[in-house]
Amino acid sequence: MNLFFFLFSAIIVLSAIAVISSRNPVHSVLFLILAFVNAAGIFVLAGAEFLAMILLIVYVGAVAVLFLFVVMMLNINLEEIKFQVKKYFFSGLFVGLILLAELFFSFSNLDLIRNKNVMVTNSKNLTNTHQIGSIIYTEYFFVFQLSGCILLVAMIGAIVLTLRKRPGVLRQTVSKQIDRKKEDSIEIIKFKNNNAN
Amino acid sequence: MNYTEYLPIFIFIVIAFSMSLGFALLSGFVGPNKPDKEKLSAYECGFEPFEDARVKFDVRFYLVAILFIIFDLEVAFLFPWAISLSLIGLTGYFSMMLFLLILTVGFIYEWKKGALDWE
Amino acid sequence: MQINPTYFTLLSALLFSIGMLGIFLNRRSIIIILMSIELLLLSVNINLVAFSAFHQNLTGQVFTMFVLTVAAAEAAIGLAILVVFFRNKGSIRVEDTQQLKG
Repeated sequence: MNLFFFLFSAIIVLSAIAVISSRNPVHSVLFLILAFVNAAGIFVLAGAEFLAMILLIVYVGAVAVLFLFVVMMLNINLEEIKFQVKKYFFSGLFVGLILLAELFFSFSNLDLIRNKNVMVTNSKNLTNTHQIGSIIYTEYFFVFQLSGCILLVAMIGAIVLTLRKRPGVLRQTVSKQIDRKKEDSIEIIKFKNNNAN
Repeated sequence: MNYTEYLPIFIFIVIAFSMSLGFALLSGFVGPNKPDKEKLSAYECGFEPFEDARVKFDVRFYLVAILFIIFDLEVAFLFPWAISLSLIGLTGYFSMMLFLLILTVGFIYEWKKGALDWE
Repeated sequence: MQINPTYFTLLSALLFSIGMLGIFLNRRSIIIILMSIELLLLSVNINLVAFSAFHQNLTGQVFTMFVLTVAAAEAAIGLAILVVFFRNKGSIRVEDTQQLKG
């Protein structure tokens, strides 16, 4: 199992590096998808099966596709993108290394890290989804409703920001078409033909 | 944790990966490949191509994708609820109903705004 | 399965640093910055799931679910802002965002 862990984590780290360094944004999105798929593998190894599937459905199925849509929609031409990394390379690397060192330092001081090799077990004989479902709606009631509100805000925000009505577009109104009666649309006029012979 | 359930998925992934890799490599090796300058040049009805191969998308694709994400997450929250409904009782039931109500407000809003129709 | 907590924390620390580096180094397009934010959130999620497994406590996994929700909402709104910005400016370069200042 450790073999799988190292495989997945190596792919995650390498594809994360590829995400931030590739010149073509489409490639970045594809590497992001690779990173997420392998993170789902890591989640399975850690016993969070439900979250692994949700990561695949929500991230790979929706968020990454959204990123791809935007990259395609914006149609960034590649010549315009210059490789301006050098200017900020050393300061950025400096900050990143400091951050990495800090994280290592703080993690290595945890008590948990010292007692090695924890078993992943499933104690209650319930599936992972079952266990999550048994607490998320009751114990975390307010957080759950808050996430609903966040989704509502995201929905409304996206509509407000991006929806533009084009004037002068003829739309089909089905109900109007169905409601049309013969009497409304056709008028039969009888001519009196005075010059009849 | 019992990982033997994942063995079929693993076999499936290995087979899919090796097959697609095999097809890609084999078609590269076996197929005839005699490129020359005219074959490789871009061709569009006798002209040089006018624009990029990547066509600009309409914004409405994006809007549909966003609304899809939101409802995707809603369904993601519905799965554990549906499974563990017997454990969580009335509180859990009405908790989910409130959640659905909040999202229905958004749904009605987008319906009224016409974000769903494709002019 | 036996797992060593060190590896998980190491992985998430590495991933977090890479995402942070992506935000710092990137001066080309905002969309890469948004992807780096997704990487940061992914590393946080890995940490939450790992510690939830170590402590036999499901709170970590529940909060990963909420973090996923927030991340999806953030991606949606961020990309919407990006689309509007591109429509007004015609580019998504990071330098141009300075003009958003009031």
